[in-house]
Amino acid sequence: MLLQQIINGLASGGIYTLVALGLTLVYGVLKILHIAHAGIYALGAYMALIAYKIYPNIYFAFFFAMVSTALAGYLVQKYLYWPIIDQPRIVPLIASIGLFLALEELYRLIWGPYVIPFPQKFHWKTYTIGKIRLPGADLFVFALSLIFLAILYWIVNRTRIGLAMRAVADDKEVAEASGINSKWTIALSFIIGSALAGAAGLMVGVYYNSIYPTMGDVPAYKSLAVIVVGGMGSIEGTVVAGFGLGLLEALLLGFLPFAFPRDALAFIAMIIFLLIKPEGLFGR
Amino acid sequence: MNYYLTILIYIGINSILALSLNIIVGYAGQISLGHAAFYGIGAYSSALIATKLGVSFWVALPSAIVITAIVGAILGLPSLRVSEDFLAITTIGINFVVQAVFKYVKFFGGALGVSGIPFPSLGGHRFSLAAFAVMTAIFTVISALVAHLINTSWIGLGLKAVREDELAASSSGVNVYKFKVLAFVLGSALAGLAGSLYAHFMMFITADDFGFPLSIAILSMIVIGGIGTVRGAFLGALLLTIMPEVFRPLSDYRMLVYAILLILFMRFLPEGLIGDESIVWKKIRGKA
Amino acid sequence: MKKVVALALVVSLVAGFGWAKPRKANLKGAIKIGFFSPLTGFAAADGLSALRGAKLAVEEINKSGGLLGKKVVLVNYDDRVKSSEAVAIARKLVTKDRVVAAVSGSYSGPTRAAAPIFQQFKIPMISAYAVHPEITKAGNYIFRNGFLGTVEGKAMGEVALKFLRAKRIALLVIDNDYGHSLAEGVKMRIRQLGGAKIVYEKAYSIGEKDFTPLLTAAKAQKPDLLIATAYYNEAAQIARQVKQMGWRIQILGEEGYDSPKFLELAGDAAEGVIITTNLNRDDLSSITQNFIKNFKARYNEDPDMVGASSYDAIMLLAKAIKKAHSTNPARIRDALQSLQNEVLATGVLYRFTQGREVVKPVQVQIVKNGEFHYYGIIADPDVVTPPW
Repeated sequence: MLLQQIINGLASGGIYTLVALGLTLVYGVLKILHIAHAGIYALGAYMALIAYKIYPNIYFAFFFAMVSTALAGYLVQKYLYWPIIDQPRIVPLIASIGLFLALEELYRLIWGPYVIPFPQKFHWKTYTIGKIRLPGADLFVFALSLIFLAILYWIVNRTRIGLAMRAVADDKEVAEASGINSKWTIALSFIIGSALAGAAGLMVGVYYNSIYPTMGDVPAYKSLAVIVVGGMGSIEGTVVAGFGLGLLEALLLGFLPFAFPRDALAFIAMIIFLLIKPEGLFGR
Repeated sequence: MNYYLTILIYIGINSILALSLNIIVGYAGQISLGHAAFYGIGAYSSALIATKLGVSFWVALPSAIVITAIVGAILGLPSLRVSEDFLAITTIGINFVVQAVFKYVKFFGGALGVSGIPFPSLGGHRFSLAAFAVMTAIFTVISALVAHLINTSWIGLGLKAVREDELAASSSGVNVYKFKVLAFVLGSALAGLAGSLYAHFMMFITADDFGFPLSIAILSMIVIGGIGTVRGAFLGALLLTIMPEVFRPLSDYRMLVYAILLILFMRFLPEGLIGDESIVWKKIRGKA
Repeated sequence: MKKVVALALVVSLVAGFGWAKPRKANLKGAIKIGFFSPLTGFAAADGLSALRGAKLAVEEINKSGGLLGKKVVLVNYDDRVKSSEAVAIARKLVTKDRVVAAVSGSYSGPTRAAAPIFQQFKIPMISAYAVHPEITKAGNYIFRNGFLGTVEGKAMGEVALKFLRAKRIALLVIDNDYGHSLAEGVKMRIRQLGGAKIVYEKAYSIGEKDFTPLLTAAKAQKPDLLIATAYYNEAAQIARQVKQMGWRIQILGEEGYDSPKFLELAGDAAEGVIITTNLNRDDLSSITQNFIKNFKARYNEDPDMVGASSYDAIMLLAKAIKKAHSTNPARIRDALQSLQNEVLATGVLYRFTQGREVVKPVQVQIVKNGEFHYYGIIADPDVVTPPW
């Protein structure tokens, strides 16, 4: 039974990580708490609905969703955040929250308040190795998360773009002095982060067979907790915190004798870290 | 008439809330995204004291204010260690934790909330709705005066120093910690007042009334009205309380309009409608 | 540029106030019935279903000539599942719109907050499906159309032992008053009948999406029946995850499952699931069949429990008004209290108790070929009579 819980935890951890990564990337370069990111995550799931009307295929849906969310991310930073970057912190924060609310309402008005099933039915197999049963759905989510993470790792650590992103996150002025175009770098961070969120949204839509307007609510709060625990702006931290949270949730839910609101764990962890180690696990 | 009085009461309570948050965010410059928690603490303390101890509203109210102020001081302590974004997140966390406590701990009524909260009465006579409205108005005016006094006193000076530049303030001998905690204490005390009024008006409260969306709504009030000003807090409270009622015919689009207004204001008019830096205010002043 | 936009914002705000005039449905002599449900926010799906049910009822009433020769007008508002909004709405309905009766199509929180106001102003109000026990205790003008949690729980216990002959039961409980009262009812009936035991019991928070940890733990206790109390979103996840785990076990649910959404989201994992509810799709009664047919035709969706309950709540008020032959709220109340053996879309209402709870048989439905169908009915007064 323990192994079952672990696999389940790794799957949800994968999702948390993917969503929180976008938040980390954005925070790293712009120092804005981009709450609306959760709205873009939900957009990924909704875009799948449109994608299937054009060409019913899961790969196309992924492509379509990620491109749409990437574009959305680009537009948000260009027209909403950049113009108010010099205002006191509270301004972009409320703007982001307003955008998040607006997106949720748009989803509700366009697609209705009901939960919509994913446009394609998947029949997951359960793989059995000896006494261990591995649900296909969990494996799929976990594997896909790893793939995306690997791609991200490659981008961040092995390309010039990644270098630029890390430089800007470190110190914007110095980076610019070294000739890095911070505007483009920031835009790219948004694009990549939003694409990841869109992928995560789509995966969640598949896994739970549910797409609904407020699906971004919990990820909004949880990814905040993940980046705090991991260290705001630290990619490694986000990965560790994301998977860690997923695992801990699954284990606690399975073994605690009383009703445990799964989402509370993220907050408790967040509060503990804020009190004891606000920089998070890997933060500076 | 009844209905309008209800709306007036909501405006009054929200004004007090806005004024209270203004002290923390406007005067002291501390980002607080969890103010609904203090509102809730005020409401729950007043409700529980009145129902479990059987005392009247007139005892519950001041008790609630004191309790909320104390809790405000305690919860304000984390704010000393963190700043800016971390503070924002901490306050969000506080909001959720407080709400969860109300929801899951049996003492607070759990999911069923607290009911049977007594409506205020004087000399055995239950207040009429109009009387409650008048009382709320009086409390609102008192709160405004208190806020104004704070702002123009040495406390206000200290808070402002902390807001503008913490480093400079502390090097000039201002005890930054003391003032930060003071801001939270004063802000929560007023929020506690608002909470008590709310509890005794609704006669029934649940944890769901004090969530994060409310914290954002209160924050929106002072930002839209004009941060750091008493008049801004009033205008913001007025607008945001009336909006859901006025926009009822648009009911399906209400929330979208609200969200878009938030975005537009932050994008184009972050100083608020009648804040000190606002164009609108300057125009009004210019003309005057 | 900035100035222009700023000014535009101010102007639009002011204009908004002027433009948004309350629509005056000034039909002389129309009978106004108040209604509120969440139309925005997370509960919008249920709120919309409830509103649709109520609207359908009003349309049908008017099509067949109205009540006492007058048209019926539904005055409805969105309460966003907020108690404070419900309070404002209640006051508005009573003092401004002057409704003669009201129905709450909302959850327990707002309903509970609004009830005392309707009681204070002596306007009869029916809670269509909100389950909180305190609601009807607000006073003799407050009625409830749906089952109490304990009643339905007892019915579930009945189904578990008498129909399904379960011996080892795993019980998943929604962590709110609804879920806990259901669990209480289940255990009560199991104790009364004897012969079975609960081998696993766990409460879970609403909004939970991943039940695999709980299901894995439950499975380890080798139960022969899984009673999973849930609303349809969670129910769909539970059913799917049970299937995903490869666990073959009978699932027993309740009216929270009763929605076409459950069938849609759970897909073929819903096959064979049994629930207690109030809507019998195979009910030969023309009232039920017509309701289902008309709802589908009007809204292009199958009806669910929430819609059916709201529809019936309005119909009950209509019957009361007809019986009282008056729109005087006090007479409506008395007529409502005295209704007996009324055929509704959700089955037969035997009567209201003194505490204004319904005494009605509980329907048991099973999912066959992707649809809900008749499986049984529980009319034993021992089970279906509310405790007050």
